[in-house]
Amino acid sequence: MSHLLRDQRCARVRHAMGQAGLDLLVVIGDAWRSDYLRFVVDVTPMEGVAVVALGRTDPTCVWVQHPAEAARWQQALPMAVVVCVDDPATAVLAHLAQVPSSVVGLAPSQVAPLSMAAGTLGKTLAACTAMLDGLMVNKSLEEADALARSVRLADEGYAVFKQAARVGRQEFELVADVEAWFRSQGCPENFMILGSGGPELRSMHPAGERRLAPGDLVTTELTPCADGYYTQICRTLVMGQPSQAQRDAFAVFRQALEAGIAAVRPGATHGDVAKAQNDVFRQHGLGDYVTSQYTRVRGHGLGLFVDGPHVLEGVPLVLEENMTLVVHPNTYHPVAGYIVLGDTVRVTATGCEVLTTTPRELFSVPL
Amino acid sequence: MRRGLISWSPEEMPVATLEARVSRLQQAMREQQLGAVLLHTSFAHPAAVHWLTNFTPYWSEALLVVLPQGTPVLLAALTQRVHPWIREVSHLGDVITAPSLGVSALSYLGEHTEPGAKVGVLGLDALPWSTAQPLMNSDWGPKLTDISELFGQLRQPADMTELRLAAHAERMAEIALKVIPMNARTTNTWASVMEAKARLDGAEELLQRIAPDLDLSPTLQRLEDDFPLGKKSAVELTLAYKGAWVRMTQMVCSEPQPASWLAAQSWFERAWRSMRAPYADLSLAGEPPGQMVNWTLQSCIGAEPLQVVAADAGFAPCSLPAQALVLLTVQLQLTDGPWYASQMLVLGTGDNDSRRLKDLAGL
Repeated sequence: MSHLLRDQRCARVRHAMGQAGLDLLVVIGDAWRSDYLRFVVDVTPMEGVAVVALGRTDPTCVWVQHPAEAARWQQALPMAVVVCVDDPATAVLAHLAQVPSSVVGLAPSQVAPLSMAAGTLGKTLAACTAMLDGLMVNKSLEEADALARSVRLADEGYAVFKQAARVGRQEFELVADVEAWFRSQGCPENFMILGSGGPELRSMHPAGERRLAPGDLVTTELTPCADGYYTQICRTLVMGQPSQAQRDAFAVFRQALEAGIAAVRPGATHGDVAKAQNDVFRQHGLGDYVTSQYTRVRGHGLGLFVDGPHVLEGVPLVLEENMTLVVHPNTYHPVAGYIVLGDTVRVTATGCEVLTTTPRELFSVPL
Repeated sequence: MRRGLISWSPEEMPVATLEARVSRLQQAMREQQLGAVLLHTSFAHPAAVHWLTNFTPYWSEALLVVLPQGTPVLLAALTQRVHPWIREVSHLGDVITAPSLGVSALSYLGEHTEPGAKVGVLGLDALPWSTAQPLMNSDWGPKLTDISELFGQLRQPADMTELRLAAHAERMAEIALKVIPMNARTTNTWASVMEAKARLDGAEELLQRIAPDLDLSPTLQRLEDDFPLGKKSAVELTLAYKGAWVRMTQMVCSEPQPASWLAAQSWFERAWRSMRAPYADLSLAGEPPGQMVNWTLQSCIGAEPLQVVAADAGFAPCSLPAQALVLLTVQLQLTDGPWYASQMLVLGTGDNDSRRLKDLAGL
């Protein structure tokens, strides 16, 4: 399936290059911002920087910084010219100097280095990044299907997380159980943060050494991927029986998530989805807690990067069929602490399909 | 993207160690008349800022500003809600919210450095344009100077704190490799048990590449699928523990190890011992018992945890001091197939052989 997706995506990129009048598109990435490379050539860098020069017809050229990476890229792209060098940017610029009449574009703006962007190539950054962003956000049917398949990992991964959460265990031990399970499923990547504690909790973070205690709220956001496509689930559990205050607080989040999901449909904007969630908090007198002081976003796009376009009030991105996003009203609650709840959804012709199957419950772990 | 335990234990990483590292940089800044130094950090390039502050970004990016005096200040794209966590795991002066790192750096430099002062940037050419552009387009642009060479000279040799953490990481990797079941049929089983063991032991990061069947392909693969294991395989495990990165490679054979592997291992042990500062070169180590496919020497001299500093081809050799902490990797093509090896070393010089990290006294 991945090869089908790769060929389809590459064809879309080359078509867009033709429309933009580009002969060559230079795309750069690393282990964090791997999404643009993944979209263009379906390979994810593991270390160092990787640069790809994609022609409309010419063989693809790749520059990487490690022999093991070079071997891996060459196996994935047997027709490409793969070169291992200490400074890919300089090598790319030297390569481009040999094709002076070509119209060349550079992307993405998030990782393009000074040495490549400071000259005329830099003037193409904004347009080429926007071109690829447009292709990546507006998914094909097959891409949306691929993402939908990866949702199973998030649902079952959360079941593993629940099982791992026991009083006395340290936060990083929960990560060990979850990551090991993802690996057993052939899942190469997962972005995961969590939190444990009471009303003092203000956010999630990478796992620390804190031990889970009775009464703790334990939050997590799991973001596994398959075929390069990330999906996300956000859930909260309580060590022991939830208090009435915790139940009451959670009910607001469930209502907000339902409102947000109800707002997802073609023609609506990311801003509309955020406002629908935030309005619920406002109705409950919790409007202060949907500001940047307490929360980051009300969801975000999902695809080849863990953190696609943000769902925030005022964001004008218009939803279209087969777009995928996570809706999550995660924020601090002044009585209960930081609570998370989020589902992955896919925009359909008339609304959206909720892909996440885990119940929207405040789970309880028996003591 | 698999961030496990991220924490700061002052017993393992004393404040005095971090302050001594910053002092060395500040001394060099004064000698070079640098009014400030900027170090960019991200998930993919975290090593330099971690070395000075113990801070590792699990998300987003940040810019560390070091002035000739005082504790470094972090300009963080992460929102203010995360600042308590940043302070919990790092030794920093101020933490400043900076949605645009370049714009915030401009403002900070304007307030805290003399007009006209030179500003050092680690990896200036590689600085993301989104951060570099505001700086380059300002009056500071002509005053920015790359300090990669200077930083590299300060960065190695590794201090005892780093050697201890790296030795611990190497033990963790060794144990994780030992638990892989020999009767497994596919790579997912190996990947899963290594992940579980290393993460339970406190690994911050784990990168796995496996060549599942060396009779079919020598390529060490990223595990995006469940590959059937052949009779002969190679496993490469890269592990980070509290900012210290190591790599181990293990050859696996479901039958008794071929004699060719034993001969290659014997050559490799002689070869790594012969590596010498300042320009370690494996091609001087004597003929291997097969064809040399490639070799690399890696070390942490900048923002990358394991940066290739010398190789058989494609890399200008980089000078390293004696006692530098390095990783040597080798791929040979033997008569009966591919063969991989790696070794974490402390680099020798003159009459002194290189030594294995794990053999150092006091660790």
